[in-house]
Amino acid sequence: MAASTHGLIATFDTAADIYHAAEKVRDAGFTNWDCITPCPVHGLDGAMGVKRSKVPRISLAGGITGFITGMSMIYFTGAVDYPLIVGGKPLFSPMFAFPVAYELTILFTAFATIGGMLILNGLPMHYHPVLKTDHIHRGLDDKFLIVIESSDPNYDSAKALLESAGGTEITEIES
Amino acid sequence: MASSTTANSATAAPSNPAGKALTIGIVGIVLTILGIFVSGGDKVAFAWLTAMTFWTGLAIGMLMLIMIHHIVDANWSTVIRRQFEHGIAAFKWLALLFVPLIVASIIEPSILWKYFDPSFDLSRVGGHGTVASDVLWQKKSGLLSFEFFMVLTTISFGGWMLLSNRFRRCSFSQDMDGDIKWTRKSRFWSAIGLPFMAVTLSLCVILWVKALDYHWFSTMFGVWYFAECVRGALAVGVLMMCWLTTRGDYQGVLTKNHWYSIGMLSFAFTVFWAYVTFSQYFLIWNANIPEETFWYNIREIQNSSGEPNQWKWVGMLLLFGHFFVPFFGLISYPAKISKWWMKLMASWIILIILIDIIYNVWPSKKDSLGDPIAFAGLHMIWTLTAVIGVGGICAWAYFKSFPTAKLIPIRDPRIGESLTYHE
Repeated sequence: MAASTHGLIATFDTAADIYHAAEKVRDAGFTNWDCITPCPVHGLDGAMGVKRSKVPRISLAGGITGFITGMSMIYFTGAVDYPLIVGGKPLFSPMFAFPVAYELTILFTAFATIGGMLILNGLPMHYHPVLKTDHIHRGLDDKFLIVIESSDPNYDSAKALLESAGGTEITEIES
Repeated sequence: MASSTTANSATAAPSNPAGKALTIGIVGIVLTILGIFVSGGDKVAFAWLTAMTFWTGLAIGMLMLIMIHHIVDANWSTVIRRQFEHGIAAFKWLALLFVPLIVASIIEPSILWKYFDPSFDLSRVGGHGTVASDVLWQKKSGLLSFEFFMVLTTISFGGWMLLSNRFRRCSFSQDMDGDIKWTRKSRFWSAIGLPFMAVTLSLCVILWVKALDYHWFSTMFGVWYFAECVRGALAVGVLMMCWLTTRGDYQGVLTKNHWYSIGMLSFAFTVFWAYVTFSQYFLIWNANIPEETFWYNIREIQNSSGEPNQWKWVGMLLLFGHFFVPFFGLISYPAKISKWWMKLMASWIILIILIDIIYNVWPSKKDSLGDPIAFAGLHMIWTLTAVIGVGGICAWAYFKSFPTAKLIPIRDPRIGESLTYHE
């Protein structure tokens, strides 16, 4: 399709309408599309066929990194860089390294979670073509919107599908 | 439609294992009594204390979960709260089953708790002098006496039975009239009950278990028991959910979001348990003073020879089995919503909690060299029969209560939210 088109936007009146429309778009095999709703619609992720987020894996990787960092930091400072016997304890023991490792596990997990979420969502994003349309004002207020992007392989059949799914005011979005 | 009607009428009078549970309980108790003639009353008393600490802990955990549910006005847990309300019907039987320990202590005051008998000769457990001449007992004698033990245990069981009765009554009455006042009353009793439980469960476990070795100090012990109680109750909750799903009652009631939520709580309390248990160990390890470290020492090496003993491997099992296995077993989302996996994890957690209670109770049974009794031995058979005996009675109390009320609190103000709950 024309490179100047970002995609198609369609308006739905109720949460139930967009829920069923999303199921139709999902079943037609579309991949590059999204729903814009003024409020959370429970179960819409399932109706859209959205898979579970990959953020937990990034969090786990961050947590393991934090744990290893904490343990090796205490090992390096206490047993390698400045060996000093305190209170008759060994130069290194996982016992006293544990609180540090544990705190760093939490800290690095938090960083990885926030960072992973931002990266996977493509944030921060200062501009999006949908913001150019007039639909978006109602979409943030009381209407429900579906956007199918022109990059989708099935884009040619998008307009017919949105019409049959009950969408109104189907408009092309300038990119 | 026709098939579902048939299914309903088929489950109208489903099998209730109450009778079976009672039989198992009585058989367990009888076998435990026989154990007195085989291994002696002192070992069976330790076995019975282990079983009582374990099952009372599970009931306390259920009571705590009900109160936490009410005090935070939770919604998702409404569908499973009713099962905990049946579970806490066991308190009156647990109070009754605690009596043999009191009777045994009246007949022979030092059978379990040496501090009941100030004239007890400590050289029999590897010490010297008598309890009365022991400065650590003298300083703690305000708390560690038979009189205080009796008052505390009576008030605790009385309070737990009262709370159990209130929550059951409020919830079951609301099924009939749907009156919002029952929810308000439950919240009122939760606000009173939570601090009451915090104090009683801590003091009880301190006097019942920790004071078996009354020299010992630990500020984490009450919190450790709380973590154990709630983990156990959540695991029992998962097993109840599995049972009622298999039997058909919970079909269409529970969604994956309920499984996910109880899985998340189980995971959170796994971490909480580890935090508390590690803190207890770490503080003692770091301070390194003899009146604290001896408790861990006898759980690793023989007092007389310094050779490693069996408790070392039990400790290792707890470290890995009580923390790492459930931690990695419950960490992912697919694990939490898989029924068979949750059933496996819950069963494992209940088993390992029992081993943890054994680890805390049994090594206090020492010989004249101060060496703890071994982990493996005939006394573990009586521990097992006692656990089965008391457990059978608790299960019987649950199954007996089960048909007296609806499956879920159908007129609870949060039931709609709970049924359609979405994470």
